[in-house]
Formats: sequence, C-alpha cells, structure tokens
Amino acid sequence: MSISGGGGGGGGVGRGMSWCSTTSVSSSGKRIQKEMSEFGADPPEDCSAGPKGDNLYQWIAAIIGPSGSPYEGGIFFLDITFPSDYPFQPPKVMFKTRIYHCNVDLEGNISLDILKDSWRPTLTISKVLVAIQSMFTEPDPYNPAVPNVAHSYLEDRAKHDEIASEWTMRFAR
Amino acid sequence: MDSPSQPVNDAAAAAAAEDEVRTVDLVSVDPVEEIDEAFLCCICLDLLYKPIVLACGHISCFWCIHRAMNGMGKSYCPICRCPYRHFPSICQLLHFLLLKMYPLAYRVREKQMLEEEKEIGFFSPEFEENLTSSDVLVSPSTSSISGSQDVPASCTFSAAICCPDIMESLDNASTSTLGQNGDENIEADRCMATEVKHNFTNDGHKHKSSVPICTTDLQCIACSELLFRPVVLNCGHVYCKSCIFMQVDEQFRCQLCESPQPKGLLKVCLELDHFLEEHFSNEYAIRREAIRLQHIDSHQSAMQGWNCFENPFSSTKSNLQHSDLGRSIHYGFGCDYCGMFPIVGERHKCKDCNELAGFDLCGECYNSCSKRPGRFNQQHRPEHKFELVRAKGFHRIMLRLASESSEDGSILVLSDDASEDLEDGQVGHSITDDVLENSESTNSTT
Repeated sequence: MSISGGGGGGGGVGRGMSWCSTTSVSSSGKRIQKEMSEFGADPPEDCSAGPKGDNLYQWIAAIIGPSGSPYEGGIFFLDITFPSDYPFQPPKVMFKTRIYHCNVDLEGNISLDILKDSWRPTLTISKVLVAIQSMFTEPDPYNPAVPNVAHSYLEDRAKHDEIASEWTMRFAR
Repeated sequence: MDSPSQPVNDAAAAAAAEDEVRTVDLVSVDPVEEIDEAFLCCICLDLLYKPIVLACGHISCFWCIHRAMNGMGKSYCPICRCPYRHFPSICQLLHFLLLKMYPLAYRVREKQMLEEEKEIGFFSPEFEENLTSSDVLVSPSTSSISGSQDVPASCTFSAAICCPDIMESLDNASTSTLGQNGDENIEADRCMATEVKHNFTNDGHKHKSSVPICTTDLQCIACSELLFRPVVLNCGHVYCKSCIFMQVDEQFRCQLCESPQPKGLLKVCLELDHFLEEHFSNEYAIRREAIRLQHIDSHQSAMQGWNCFENPFSSTKSNLQHSDLGRSIHYGFGCDYCGMFPIVGERHKCKDCNELAGFDLCGECYNSCSKRPGRFNQQHRPEHKFELVRAKGFHRIMLRLASESSEDGSILVLSDDASEDLEDGQVGHSITDDVLENSESTNSTT
C-alpha cells in the first residue's frame, strides 16, 4: 500500500516519535561495503558491478546478454542507486543501454517485483543482477513496462525476437 | 583484573575481552575469529549482534529486525515472509553464547553498534552479564563460568564421556580448582564442556576463542536440560518445543518472565537446533531419546497443546483482522512490554521518560502488572505517570487517503473521527494540539 512507503520514509522526526525509522547511514554503508567485497569474491556469471566513483551509493553494473536469447552479444549497462536506508528499501536499478524488452521502458525503468513490493532486505545486488539476467531469457509479458512489446512478445514471438536482436546490435555493442 | 567483590568471573572475561578489543583495534579492524555461517545476520551480513529470533525461527540482529519492521501494519520475516506483529525481545541465551564463542568479533560489533546508536539517538537494551546469566539459567546452582581462562583446562571433557555420574565428580573437581582461584562466590561449575575445537581446526593463534561452550549455556527454561528442538518465545526466552504446552483457550505465558506469547505459529529455531546437534551430539541424542519416550506416554496431551501453534491462521487471523477494523492503530508506535508494533487499540504513553524512543504500552500491557525493561534501554521507572494517547497518524493518513479517493471514503472517515472524539471525551483527555488539529482538518474536508 502506498501508505507504508510514504510513512516509513518520513519517520524518525521529533521527540517521542517512538520506534520510528532509526536508519543510520553508517549501517547502510557497511552493508554495501560487505556486498562489494562479496561480489568481488564471487561474482555471478556474466555480470560485473561496482561503485562508479567515490560514492559508495552509486554503482554501475554490466550484464552480458545470455546466449540463445535475442540479446546475445550485447553488453547492457545499468545504473544502481542505493537508498540511504538500504537494505530496508530496494536499490533503484535502471538500464542505461537501450533494450527492446517488455519489462524495461524507454527510460530504462525495470518492472521487476523484487525491486518493488517483493523486495526483502536479505536480497543482495548479486541476486538482483541474476534476476535481471533471467529476465532476458524469460520476460514477464503479464506485468509489462511497455505493453506494446509485451503484446508483440505474446502474439508474434519471431518478430519480437528479430527487433530485440536488432536493437541489441544497434545499442548494446 | 577484577576486584574480589565481583561475584562472578564474567567480569573478568569482559575485562579480558575489552583488552583484546583494544589490541585488535590497533592491529586491524577485522576480527580474527572465523564465524560460523549460521551466526551471520542475513541483513547486515555481519556477525549477529543482540540476536532476535522471530516466531518463524529465523534469527537476525536487534537493529536489523527493528529496521525491517513495518510500523504501518503487519511485518514480514525478511527471510521467509512469515507475517508477525510483535517485535520480539533479544534472545539473551544466543547473545551470551555468541559473546562466549566470538569474544573478539562480538566486542568489535558492540563497539560499532554503540557508535551507530549514538548517531541515531536510539539505544538497544544492555544486559548486565552477572544478572542475566542467572536470568537465562533457571537454577543458579548450575550457572556456568565463562570467565576464568585457566579453569577450562581442568573441566574440559569431550561430550562423549559426559553423563550425570561424571557431572557429580566434575562438580567437586571444579569447585576445588576455583577455590584455588580464591573466588568463593562462584557456585558449583557443572561444565560439561565440549570445546568448540572443530570450529577452529587449523588454528594456533585462535586460542582465545576456545572457551568451552557448556550445556548449561543452552538450557531450557522449563526442564533445565539441554535444549532439544528449541523455540524462542516473544520474550526472548528459549524452551524445548516439547516443553511448551498450550491450552487452546488460554494464552501461553513464559514461565520465567510471565510475558504472554502472542498467538500465532512458533517454529523451531533451526540454526540453533543444528548448532546443538553438532556441538553436543551425544547429549542431544540422549535428549531425543528421552523426549521420544516421554511422548509415547503423553502423546495425546502434547498433540493437543501444539495444535493452536501449528494452525494459527485458521481461526485467529480472521479474528484479528476484524477486530482491528474498529480499533485505532498507532502508526509508528510500539508497545515496550509485548512488542506489538504498531500498537492497536489503546496506547498509554509515559509522561516522564524523556528518551527519544519514548515509552509506550498497549492497553493490555498497561492493565497487566508485568514489569519489563523498555526495548530501547529507556530508564522507565514504576512511579512514572502515563497518559492515554489517541491515534494521531490514523487521522492524517485516513484524511489523506480520503482526499485522494471518492466522496464515499471521506464520509466514512469523518464518522470514524467523530466516534474517536467521543471516546476521547469519555476518557477525559485534555484538549491537546491533536484535537485542535483534528477539528481543523475536519473543517477543511467538509
């Protein structure tokens, strides 16, 4: 529900605001650092990720299009922004590379349940990237970000794959 | 070292550990102990600190659980998404177990978290080690000694040879060793210890970590024996699953602190169970056999007792939701006794606690005479005065919702407001900002 999102973020103000948001910046920073070292030690296949510069909360990631999918041969870049109350709020993940996919809109926003309502603090960036990777081979046309693409995926798969592979060649190489 | 007036050697351990932390800080930030994966928090990915066990049996740190909770309604276990409404108390048994197993890493964590707590202005509960060791263990006569570093050598036996007969002789042996240490206040030490050696196999330098974990560190509140299939109650106390008998129509209360256990499922803490099975394989097998026999005797009653834990949502869930509908919800406020978060129904606020976290009780806890410390280390005292507070956020949020939704919605909300005002008047609440604000907002919507 929308209440939970809005209210949770705005908590922690004023005296006697009992039990409300007690997030600390250092705890999210520590967790991101842990993830970074764990990611470095054991990265998922065909993925890479790391901070953009000095800012620990701004990452860039790259996923190689899986072979056998229309995205084969492409390298897709993603921007990851961690909220200050990470991991209690999901990271914001956006495609920087254009992609023809029913779950990714023109601006790069991803419609993926684990990045929204199904987020759990036990999920990590490495798991999120694996989920995005599996989105390449198994799009979810029933929860689309771009209904047109979803429609073409369901109605004319061959044409969908052709366009997707064309876009991969044009934008992701 | 400790002064002779210190009753239990734990103080010595604390002092020693502090020294160690200091040296660790000088050498490197990373603690040297290798931590069992079972004791890593899945939220902060670090060693569990002040662990809390949810009713579904999953463990996480105090702060991690608190931050993962939803102050607006039901919360969900971050691991299994099992719903719950009460913020459990810290499991002191696990807290002291971890402190004993990983003294260096745990102290480092403590230091880190204390800094964080200072930053946010909220504090987690502190435990006085001397008090709580007798609090966790039922009978003080079996209290374990984690402190003196030279004792373990004399009382470390492998789990294989431990049986009640040996315990008796061990008793005498260890008291005599302790006598030499000149500490008379220490009760008999029944340290049926297994060294945590297999945890630290190829290590020469990890010597300090091998303080033995005793079965007395892992006792059931009810039967005072080694835990078997442990369950952790909302109050943080640990029982064997087979030691909990629930009456269908009565609320189960912890035998030690008398806190009521919220209705709902209660599952075995599997991480702790695996730990017991691994480290005390023999005792654990004996316990398993004993409980199996016991169950054959009283099979019927045990089964009945468990039914209401196992099928919690068949009847209680719907009841809860229906009863919630007519009651006000205090978004963002939790009960410091039972942990209900957010408080549903009456909320009593302490007028004398000036901590940032405040001190609030739900109606039920206010009317009961239980005395428990606050969840955020508030210095609440029995003579403090309470006031009844009306749900604040309820109006704001409902009004906001109403203004966004159709006309029907807003009419419904207004009638709710009216009834709340009436309730307030009956209680004799003085006119506060809330009331003014409420009338203002009522005007604005009409």
